[in-house]
Amino acid sequence: MITSPRWSVQLRAVVRKEIRQTVRDRRIMFMLIVAPLLQTVVFGFAVDFQFDHVPTLVVDHDASAQSREHIRRLLADGTLRDAGHTTELGAVQRKLQTGDAAAALVLPEGLARAFAAQRAAEVQVILDGGDPNRAVVVAGAASRYFGEAAESMVKERLAAHGIAPPPLIRATPRIWFNPSLKTPPYMIPGVMTILLVITTTLVTAMGLAREREMGTLEQVLVTPIRPLFLLVGKMTPFLVIGCFDVLLVLTAGVWIFGVPLHGSLALVATGTVLYVLCTLGIGLLISTVSRTQQQAFLAGFLFAMPAILLSGVMTPIRAMPFWLQVVTTFNPVRYYIEVLRAVLLKGAGLVDIWWRLLALLGFGLALLTVASLRFHKRVA
Amino acid sequence: MSTAPAATPGGTTMGIEAGAALEAQALVRCFGATRALDGLSFTVGRGQLFGLVGADGAGKTTAIRALAGLITLDAGRALVLGRDPAKGGVAVRESLGLMPQQASLYPDLSVAENLRFFARLYCLPRALFRERSARLLDITRLGPFLDRRADALSGGMYKKLALACALLHRPEVLLLDEPTNGVDPVSRRELWALLHELVHDGMTVLLSTPYMDEAERCHCVGLIHHGRLLLAGEPRALLATFEDETYEVEGGEREQVDQGLASLAEVHAASPAGATLRIAVARGSAGTVAGALAPLAASLRPVAPNFEDLFLARVRQEAA
Repeated sequence: MITSPRWSVQLRAVVRKEIRQTVRDRRIMFMLIVAPLLQTVVFGFAVDFQFDHVPTLVVDHDASAQSREHIRRLLADGTLRDAGHTTELGAVQRKLQTGDAAAALVLPEGLARAFAAQRAAEVQVILDGGDPNRAVVVAGAASRYFGEAAESMVKERLAAHGIAPPPLIRATPRIWFNPSLKTPPYMIPGVMTILLVITTTLVTAMGLAREREMGTLEQVLVTPIRPLFLLVGKMTPFLVIGCFDVLLVLTAGVWIFGVPLHGSLALVATGTVLYVLCTLGIGLLISTVSRTQQQAFLAGFLFAMPAILLSGVMTPIRAMPFWLQVVTTFNPVRYYIEVLRAVLLKGAGLVDIWWRLLALLGFGLALLTVASLRFHKRVA
Repeated sequence: MSTAPAATPGGTTMGIEAGAALEAQALVRCFGATRALDGLSFTVGRGQLFGLVGADGAGKTTAIRALAGLITLDAGRALVLGRDPAKGGVAVRESLGLMPQQASLYPDLSVAENLRFFARLYCLPRALFRERSARLLDITRLGPFLDRRADALSGGMYKKLALACALLHRPEVLLLDEPTNGVDPVSRRELWALLHELVHDGMTVLLSTPYMDEAERCHCVGLIHHGRLLLAGEPRALLATFEDETYEVEGGEREQVDQGLASLAEVHAASPAGATLRIAVARGSAGTVAGALAPLAASLRPVAPNFEDLFLARVRQEAA
């Protein structure tokens, strides 16, 4: 005790006090431990950009063996699900409006006869454009099926006449990094990103606002501890908890949702620490502009929502208008999610992502410096 | 704490070293349009018990915060043992103890944890901490409540814990902002006994209080009003300079008496004391006042002047 330098005694006192208070505060503990797991499970299971079993109404005006066969085969793929049969257009409209069905497949009368007579036939697909992604998936599934059906009919016809089928060009997609196009490998890094904003930004902002609210900040500031060590001591536990949360979510992601671990974990850890510098800095900055915990909480969300939406976690940045894309270059969240996805899913190395890490470091140092200067100024 | 050489309490011979313990030099601090401190100046000698007396909003808390280096000043200079408290660094912090008026401890930490935390911030060696905290817990009689959370303490116990936390590092200068506010009479008496003991042992104590009766227990008092010092000095000496005569008004309808007195320029102060009314009147004007009160069936009974009379008369004079 006597041999260790003064600042280390003080720093340890603050860290110990902070941990004790955190453990005693059920709300904070919930935010730090339960929320990450809940988020993982919710995002892992609920957020799915794949559309399976889209409820589809079948309007079979033909009612022939052939039309029934087509419907059976189209539905067998699993993309579409039979949501009932009807022959009334009114029923189709109602069901699409209520959301009981997202699409309707209309097979016209005389379909089988048209095939037999070698006449062209048309199948109508009615789509609910309310969810554009899903509509595209249904349209794709239907046109793919009928395209293949037409192709095989042509082949059959040619074979019946003893003619070999002509060569065809076919695009064969080969998907890298996430071959089964599962959503969790894409989303789990997003969960890790969002999570750190909550555990570090919000908790830091609220923690300092709380000291101010309680009057404890002044009592601490009249002691010989330097404000910088107070800040470091207050943030250290959350840096550790943040990294622990990242590990927790990553483990859950790998075991439950099959997120691949292609790259180096050391690189993930480096990125995480640099990113946490940014989120802590933002939390500190927020605490210098808020007087109460409530203000800090609201300010935290005011930052978190746009930062997450403009990071590419949910939607690709390339899909944004140009001026918003420019805005995203100032968003540290963006660089972290890019690092995570590149390293975890594609096995990217330092060579591929070094400038993103550098950006995180730059943002982190700048934010922490500005925030602690502001903190000093507000204290005085 | 009781090993210091005996000295007469209230004596001014205790300052061993030269130089003031606390100095406020024309402090000015504005919050928006209000001038919380408006050229406040006073000096507290070493080993003195100085009472800063004033009504709510007079600037007492701001003055203490300025001396603790917690706020920046718009003008003027605050000095603690000759150093700027805001920039004085560790030396000032080590020599200063502060007990703020509002809550200042961690409500979710226990009595023992709060003590230990502040002891560590002062880098108190473990053995010294054990010794001092045992002594402080003994004096404050908080010993049985070591494991109780600070937010579960009564008002008086909380204040005593706050005081204990401020005393752990044995500061040379102790600042107390309304230490007896919201404290029961027994704890209040204990607190005063402790303060006298600390001062007896050589500590310099500055405290603020809205209670005039507490002012009389200090070596030196300063009356603060609208951020300025109206009066300062040794209580008995100040009282000796008081030229007004003080009376208790007996009988009469209170409202009528109040109205009757309000119109008299000779009446310098009026304050209700329990069921009766105390007034301070200009020397030699008792006859006039008594004459004015006679139709209201009220009469005057002479009483010894006290601090409240003096301060109220001075504040009234300032307002006029």
